[in-house]
Amino acid sequence: MSTPVIADPVANPAAEPAVVTGAPTAAQRVTSFMPVIALVALLAALTIADPDFLTQRSLTAAVRTSAPLVVLAAGATLVVLCGGIDLSIAALCSLSTVFFAMWLPDLGGLTILAVVAAAGAIGAVQGIAHVVLRIPSFVVTLGGMSIFSAIALVISDAGPIRVIDRDATAWLNLYVAGYVPMSFFVAVLVVAVVSLVIKLTPLESFVRATGYSESAARLAGTPVDAVKVAAFTVSGACAGLAAVMLASRNFSGSPTMADNLLLPAVAAIVVGGTAITGGHGSLWRSLTGALVVTLLRVGLPIVGVPSAWEQILYGAIIVAAVALTLDRSKVLIIK
Amino acid sequence: MSAVTTHPQESPATVNALEVRGLVKHYPGVKALDGVDLVVKQNEVLGLAGENGAGKSTLLKALVGLVRPDAGEIWVRGEKVRLRSVVDAADHGIGMVFQEQSLVPNLTAAENIVLGSEGAGVRRGVYRWDTMRRLAQEQLDKIGSHIDPLARTDSLSFAERQMVEIAKVLRIEERTSHPPVIILDEPTSVLESAEIETLFTQVRRLREFASVVFVSHRLDEVLDVCDRVSVLRGGQSVGEVPTAGAEPADLHRMMIGSTGSDDHYHDGLAERSDEPARPRLVVKNLSGRTFRDVDLEVHAGEIVGIVGVHGSGREDVCRALFGAEPTLAGEVTLDGEKLDLSGTRGAVASGVGYVPAERKIEGMVGPMSVADNMMLTKQKARCTGPMVVPKKQATLVDTWIERLSIRTPHRGTQIGRLSGGNQQKVVLARWLVAGDIRLLLLDHPTRGLDIGARSEVYRLMRELANSGVATVLLADSLEEAIGMSDRIIVMNDGRATKEVSCPSGGKPTPLDLVKEMV
Repeated sequence: MSTPVIADPVANPAAEPAVVTGAPTAAQRVTSFMPVIALVALLAALTIADPDFLTQRSLTAAVRTSAPLVVLAAGATLVVLCGGIDLSIAALCSLSTVFFAMWLPDLGGLTILAVVAAAGAIGAVQGIAHVVLRIPSFVVTLGGMSIFSAIALVISDAGPIRVIDRDATAWLNLYVAGYVPMSFFVAVLVVAVVSLVIKLTPLESFVRATGYSESAARLAGTPVDAVKVAAFTVSGACAGLAAVMLASRNFSGSPTMADNLLLPAVAAIVVGGTAITGGHGSLWRSLTGALVVTLLRVGLPIVGVPSAWEQILYGAIIVAAVALTLDRSKVLIIK
Repeated sequence: MSAVTTHPQESPATVNALEVRGLVKHYPGVKALDGVDLVVKQNEVLGLAGENGAGKSTLLKALVGLVRPDAGEIWVRGEKVRLRSVVDAADHGIGMVFQEQSLVPNLTAAENIVLGSEGAGVRRGVYRWDTMRRLAQEQLDKIGSHIDPLARTDSLSFAERQMVEIAKVLRIEERTSHPPVIILDEPTSVLESAEIETLFTQVRRLREFASVVFVSHRLDEVLDVCDRVSVLRGGQSVGEVPTAGAEPADLHRMMIGSTGSDDHYHDGLAERSDEPARPRLVVKNLSGRTFRDVDLEVHAGEIVGIVGVHGSGREDVCRALFGAEPTLAGEVTLDGEKLDLSGTRGAVASGVGYVPAERKIEGMVGPMSVADNMMLTKQKARCTGPMVVPKKQATLVDTWIERLSIRTPHRGTQIGRLSGGNQQKVVLARWLVAGDIRLLLLDHPTRGLDIGARSEVYRLMRELANSGVATVLLADSLEEAIGMSDRIIVMNDGRATKEVSCPSGGKPTPLDLVKEMV
């Protein structure tokens, strides 16, 4: 097209500025590493308070404790990235520990797969209810939380079920390279694999577009509903895997075993710097967040903080961590 | 405008109710107001006319304190004022009836009328219903309305709610001893003709004790109800005319200005060829929630504009063709194949593209990069198997950045940091990267863009049409629809009522279309 009629777009460069604002500032770059900085600072503070803390033994214990929380938080992070929330993870995890203890005598080594698959399917049902019935994810999973707790109580006769066959999960208590507990290694592996799959495929732009602006994602023809259902499925499956870790460590399944992990998991996600409004964040961030949360829970009693103060400090540190880690340039609305 | 040079204090009888001098307001990339002057005299109805983007809304917002001008002055009854909020404006006796109604639907008319300025209607934090009812009734009496103050707002008709709004705005009389200035922004756009007559009666009644600024797209209405009309174009005042003896065509000429010989719409680029035997898009008896029995045909390489007033249903037809708005009946075929409109995925897979009117909310994902936004829809073009191949993406995105002259520092830059025109080009490119586009649905593609960016979008539309893409255009103004379209469909109350041929060299005038639209 070289007809003289065409207005040369370069002819009026002053008409509008090409870029309204510049590249990310140094402060913004630091902010994106803030969760890691917070983790290191916390580790340093605990070591100063009690020099014995920084030993291989207590660190190994800490990361082993963190494994179920890492998996729970990582799964729920996907739902949060899509702009939703999954409140059912802890209750589903408790229910899954009951499944595990009940199915182990019959299924043996296949129990792990069965529990993860069942929990994933339950997550998928919640996702389908959310997209088909158009009910907010907050409500669907709040209802799910209640239902799963009740089912767990009913099928377990409201008490713990002992795990007798310990061979099936004995491998989870091994160590990788001598020091890294297998359960933590598996947790990191899950984060790595899911992150990699998202990163290398169009899923990343689907998830982020859905989280930032669902209407724009829909009008661009992206499979918004399928992505959301997938996120809930992975979140459910992660709850199942976390249940396997918990049940194998406690040698029992219990209808309330993981119930106290819901708020730590949500805390791990936000401390990691994932925007609760969706779009911005990653599973790696939640891994870091889960480590921060675990260090607080494990470390504060070790350094001699009285248990009453522990909760105050815990709450204050989480709020402070979010204040530091939240990248406000990426989050348009703080709600 | 002799009023500017007189000293208002010396001759109170001729003091202007409201006066605007040299008002300027810039937004990034756009001069919304570029030196606007306006005079509203005591007890007159002043019409305000101008195309979309002429600066009417910004001017009105500045008058009620919602927008702070960068430069210029606002004078109220000979006194220079600075308006920081709606309350500020109300204290100076200026109130506005908003285009989108601002009443709370689940409250009574009385509650809505006193809301925010309850005064004696509340004692110790508790509503005193008899006082509230009396306060509301006083307001309704001013306009002679018989609406029950205790009726729930959502049980009232649109026209009745508008009366409640006017009654509510008239409460500003209590804040000032002077006659108020009432602004009516597009008050007739959703009214039936009988209701419009009632509204006009009200406006004439208002003139007895107030000044009125009346904004409407319908020029015959403006001429009917106003004493004078002030015309805006491109953020500037282009003149004012007394309505006595004026014709809609005169106003239109002022609103458009001389189009001149520069080919703004790149008409010279339009290629005429013999129409292929079979049209690309065939819509038969399409019905939805807001439109009925719409028939439409678009040939390959053709641009078809759909025009209609607010509420004509044209936006919903456009969305329905993309599967983003439910259809109740009818059949849509693309190149002879039935189009699946149950969701947007089917349309996308068939080579239909849609550029939404709300670019920042629906068109793009602001925090994501130019590349991610451009590749969001046609993922296959940047993938090998299930994997995104960064090299493939880089080559493709850079090619389109160059072809559409998108000004961005890098393909990885956040799209939200680009100017409106460049953002829109990225959104358009999204449909072009795979080279499979057959039908492009453009919903106000130039909204909010400045003239240079508009021109580039027009040129792109021409090039796409010449390459065989069928285009449906919902233009931002009648002039744009006429300038760009080969044919224009007029929609009225959800039905396609008229088809106007619009060939190069034989274009209809905006007035020809306005006649069909109302």
